[in-house]
Amino acid sequence: MNLKKWWSFLLALTFSVLLLAACNGGDDETGTDPEEPADDNGEEPADDENGDDDGDDDTAGEASEGGNVNIAFFSPPEHQFNPIYYTSTYDANVMDFIFEALFRTDDELLLQPHLAESYELNDDQTEMTITLNEGITWHDGEAFTADDVVFTYEMISHPEYTGVRGTYADKLVGYEDFRAGESEEFEGVVAEDDQTVIFRWEESSVTPEFNASFPIIPEHIFGAVEPGEIESHESSIATGEVVGTGPFMLGDFVEGDQYVLNANEDYWNGAPNLDTVTLQVRDQAVITGLLESGDVDMVIQPDGIVPSDVASVEQMDNVTLYQPQDLGYQYMGFKIGYRPSEDVEAGVIDTDNFIENEKLSDVRVRQAIVHALDREAMVGGEDGEGGLLQGSGQVLHAPFPEASWAFDENADIGLEYDTDRAMELLAEAGYEDTNGDGFVEDPNGEEYVLTLAYPTGNEPRENAAIVIEQQLAEVGINVNVDTPREFPAHSEIVENDDQSIDMYLMGWGLASGDPDPGGIFTSHVPYNYTRWVDETSDEMIQRGLSAPDAFEQEYREEVYSEWAEYVSEQVPYAFLWSMINNWAATDRVGGITEDPVTMLKDPHLWYVQE
Amino acid sequence: MAKYILRRLLIFIPMLFIVTIVVFTLATLAPGDPLTGQQLDPTIDPAALEERREALGLNDPPPVQYINWLSEVATGNLGDSLYFSGRTVQDLIWSRLPNTVYLAVFSLFITLVIGLPLGIYAARKQYTAADYFVTTFGFFGLAVPNFFFALLAVYFFSFQLGWFPAQGTQSSASISGLAEFLDRLHHLILPGLTLGLASVAIYMRYIRSEMLDVLSSDFVRTARAKGMTKGTVVYKHTLRNATIPIITLLGFEFGTLVSGAVVTEAVFNFPGIGQLFLTGIQNRDFPLIMGINLLIGVTILVGNLLADIMYAVVDPRIRYD
Amino acid sequence: MSGPSPGSTKQVNTEPPMPEAKEQKKSYSPTKLIVKRFFANKLAVAGVFMFLLVVIFSFSAPLFVEHDPAQTNPLNTYAEPSADHWLGTNSSGQDNFARLVYGGQISLQVGVFIMLIVSVIGVVLGSISGYFGGWIDSIIMRVTDLFLIFPFLLLVLTVVTILQNVNVAILVITLGLIVWPNITRILRGTYLTLREREFIYSARAAGATDLRIIMKHMIPNAIGPIIVNATIIMAQMIILESALSFIGFGIPAPTPSWGAMLNEARSLNILTGMPWAWMPPGIMIVITVLSINFIGDGLRDAFDPKSSRK
Repeated sequence: MNLKKWWSFLLALTFSVLLLAACNGGDDETGTDPEEPADDNGEEPADDENGDDDGDDDTAGEASEGGNVNIAFFSPPEHQFNPIYYTSTYDANVMDFIFEALFRTDDELLLQPHLAESYELNDDQTEMTITLNEGITWHDGEAFTADDVVFTYEMISHPEYTGVRGTYADKLVGYEDFRAGESEEFEGVVAEDDQTVIFRWEESSVTPEFNASFPIIPEHIFGAVEPGEIESHESSIATGEVVGTGPFMLGDFVEGDQYVLNANEDYWNGAPNLDTVTLQVRDQAVITGLLESGDVDMVIQPDGIVPSDVASVEQMDNVTLYQPQDLGYQYMGFKIGYRPSEDVEAGVIDTDNFIENEKLSDVRVRQAIVHALDREAMVGGEDGEGGLLQGSGQVLHAPFPEASWAFDENADIGLEYDTDRAMELLAEAGYEDTNGDGFVEDPNGEEYVLTLAYPTGNEPRENAAIVIEQQLAEVGINVNVDTPREFPAHSEIVENDDQSIDMYLMGWGLASGDPDPGGIFTSHVPYNYTRWVDETSDEMIQRGLSAPDAFEQEYREEVYSEWAEYVSEQVPYAFLWSMINNWAATDRVGGITEDPVTMLKDPHLWYVQE
Repeated sequence: MAKYILRRLLIFIPMLFIVTIVVFTLATLAPGDPLTGQQLDPTIDPAALEERREALGLNDPPPVQYINWLSEVATGNLGDSLYFSGRTVQDLIWSRLPNTVYLAVFSLFITLVIGLPLGIYAARKQYTAADYFVTTFGFFGLAVPNFFFALLAVYFFSFQLGWFPAQGTQSSASISGLAEFLDRLHHLILPGLTLGLASVAIYMRYIRSEMLDVLSSDFVRTARAKGMTKGTVVYKHTLRNATIPIITLLGFEFGTLVSGAVVTEAVFNFPGIGQLFLTGIQNRDFPLIMGINLLIGVTILVGNLLADIMYAVVDPRIRYD
Repeated sequence: MSGPSPGSTKQVNTEPPMPEAKEQKKSYSPTKLIVKRFFANKLAVAGVFMFLLVVIFSFSAPLFVEHDPAQTNPLNTYAEPSADHWLGTNSSGQDNFARLVYGGQISLQVGVFIMLIVSVIGVVLGSISGYFGGWIDSIIMRVTDLFLIFPFLLLVLTVVTILQNVNVAILVITLGLIVWPNITRILRGTYLTLREREFIYSARAAGATDLRIIMKHMIPNAIGPIIVNATIIMAQMIILESALSFIGFGIPAPTPSWGAMLNEARSLNILTGMPWAWMPPGIMIVITVLSINFIGDGLRDAFDPKSSRK
């Protein structure tokens, strides 16, 4: 195409001007050197990192001992490297190298023993006896024992604990008393001997492995610290003082820029091949250049390569993409009800007080809206053509992404893109255009306008807001799109039931632990932002967790498949999509374990191939 | 003079006080708090978030929060950050301040070493091609959005030519001494150029016109008539006048360089105060916002005072009473 | 432009003109002289010409732009230039050419309206401060000091989040309320010098009221610095709008603006692979700001005969 050539010429011209200006400026000499600047063949890639002499075109070479791998992510960590207090996923990335838990997920998202060697459950699953692996030591040489496990669970249950991880412990025996400070002993987690620890729950636990999978912190370090001081203790925030059991230890860092992790030669699973891993904070805009030049070896969760860059990364010979489906998803929530402002004020959630939002309480209207949305178009083709996601995503009909065992490909769910059906449903519900303005009026003949609120911060989601407005206009629904708000502000109006909004865009990042939807969809829970009250759904969610049937995964699969069908008909949400992650690694790094939720599994197996 | 300084200080303290109140009001008026952003993960119990709010004092009425903050400041502490869990505000500021200071100093340095000679050169060769080139460069420097310049510079100087690193403050965390200094300098060049671009343009144009003024002024003709070389007169006079805007830059601009570098710091991932401030604002971390604001306020105060004093030193005709 | 900060906006402090020193050789009126000098300046004339082109291009949009700049098309995102989409499409399938043209309206409005707000505030407060002096002057100057240490990003953010549905007007007013102190200080300086001029003394001796002196004598004689600084503000605000877009505090979608368009090129990939998406808004910003600066420079030279020697 001629136009394209013309643009390339302009581009070259701009760069020449820039070069000339900058040369004259930067060197403070007016000598002219009219090089051909846009000619980038044969230029050396910028490489000033630790003297690596990698070329671009190295084929898979020999594994070598030692070396360093550079990993990029896009925002700096908050520097809270204590599992019981961290909140940012970037901190989690750093801690993934350092801390370990008794269980971790395998490539099918099932929890398997990790620090634990084996475990036994009693018949009603109220008690789990865990035998720990032998020979595990902390980074400072102390032995890892059952006491550390007990200590960790005591700390997240402690009266002075102000972190947010209590959900791992709050069903254990004696939690309430211990949390309230009424008991010195925590009966829920007990060390039988150095290698054996017992968890006891008040009621049968359907997810015992998950509840026991919290990362373990060292008692010999934090035991001597006042529980209220742990958050700001140097072993939580300072380099060289953070102690875990993992394959790497936190070494030098430059705050907000880079974090060096040194190999833990005594790692219980085998000493790492690498000497160091360097986590670098890099701007998303330049990441493709850094990958190509070899300055960065890996791009990992939570961000990955942005969809619009994927095509060009695919063309790089030296880079492999890892593209598991993300467990989280984006959705448009329908505010079916609102809490009255007194309840918001008092922090109360009482389903009886919910005020119905008449604009959306008719399920046919919600179904019509879902029928009107062309979600396939939003996601784009798999060839990376078009769409808001350039194909890096999958349309979702229920909150179980394909990677999850709760996903049932045979379930009859989902409302397809069908504008005729949408208009039919609207007409059935009494919404018709009576004044000829192109938009439907409500059954009383009043103007019908839905307000959509959305947050900034996720480009495809931001773009989706306008697309949704226009697609709904096609079937005659008038949508008023609010100015995007920053996430905290958006989150607050959604959570506090601002009655001026009818629909909102948001996303959930799901933990890999368990697919139970109860925390989000049960009528009375705070995260039920849509205030969708539905006894059938509540009952099904309850069934999915009821002992002893729910001890069998197959039973739960059935229940969740049934629930998924139900929820996709009732549409409290218009599920939009779940992303495909675009993680990348250059061929320089070998030994990467593929995993649906992380690039950071078993980094001690990584090696550099020259 | 001493009286003048004292008076300025006395006026400044209540002003700083007013600013903290306004900033605090704005920070608490903005919807959302540091914890609302964490509600993406359904495994976090909302009740735990509520308890944490309580523990952090976020549920207190704003005046109470303000007074708590103020009493903390009175003891010489800037308080604990709400977003960066477990860290104090001064710890955070100290970890980022050096980067910003390097960046600001370096960009001022660039302003000087590029702007001054170019300005003088252009004036000496008035109406030549070189003059037009410099003048045009000056206009362009003002017309190009700096994030745009930054991206082009990264693309060109880092990826095409490989001269300068594209990101970060240093290439390795483990180097020290002279090697570290040189390495840091290397990393400073692109962000420094970006940040200094507009200042270079302005300063260059100022020097050029100042120089032209001097060249055509009567006393130069007189001095030359008396047999002094043109160079001596011109440079002595121009350079003295040239220090005035630099002093202004130092005093007036330094504080705003700190907050104005947000964009540059973002593109080059140069973790400085600007970035920290933006994070603070986005996450409603009011102790952090207020702490940085105090710092900027004090910097501007001191900078302005120093500038006033230096004016008087450079130009004895300036008097303060 | 070193970033979105009011303090880093620099003004050229021109000397007030000397009205009594009329150049007597020819019988031109001062205004005519100024116009004559201005049009003798080739760069300034080129600036006017360029600026008019930009204005005509942007505001005649409906005549030649077929696409609605807000119309998305998820099936056709990041399209290459074609006969239908001259500059391709963006990440939500909106037509880049339509956005370029309509975005020009927005960017120009931002520049012009902020300039007007700031000039009015600056002239009013600057005159009061510079003419009356004393306690009222102190108060105004302390307020300008206050604004210097004020984190204006916070103000923008708070206003944007509290007032829902932020539009160009709200952003313009917010920015205007933040940027005024610099120009106020400069104009105050001008008035301080003017106040001591003989013709003011004689007007006062003749019994003129303060208001009359300000309106009839001070403002007309300070018109040079006012206009020159106004052009500078306008150029800076167009740049500032793009910088604000970059950090996510600009004019919200789907309103097109040049800053937002440039911001979409915040990726090396788009930068090198899709020059048609970012180069036109980039060039438009540069041309607009250049032309305004040319005009400003020309005006300064025209108002201030002393500087026209350069």
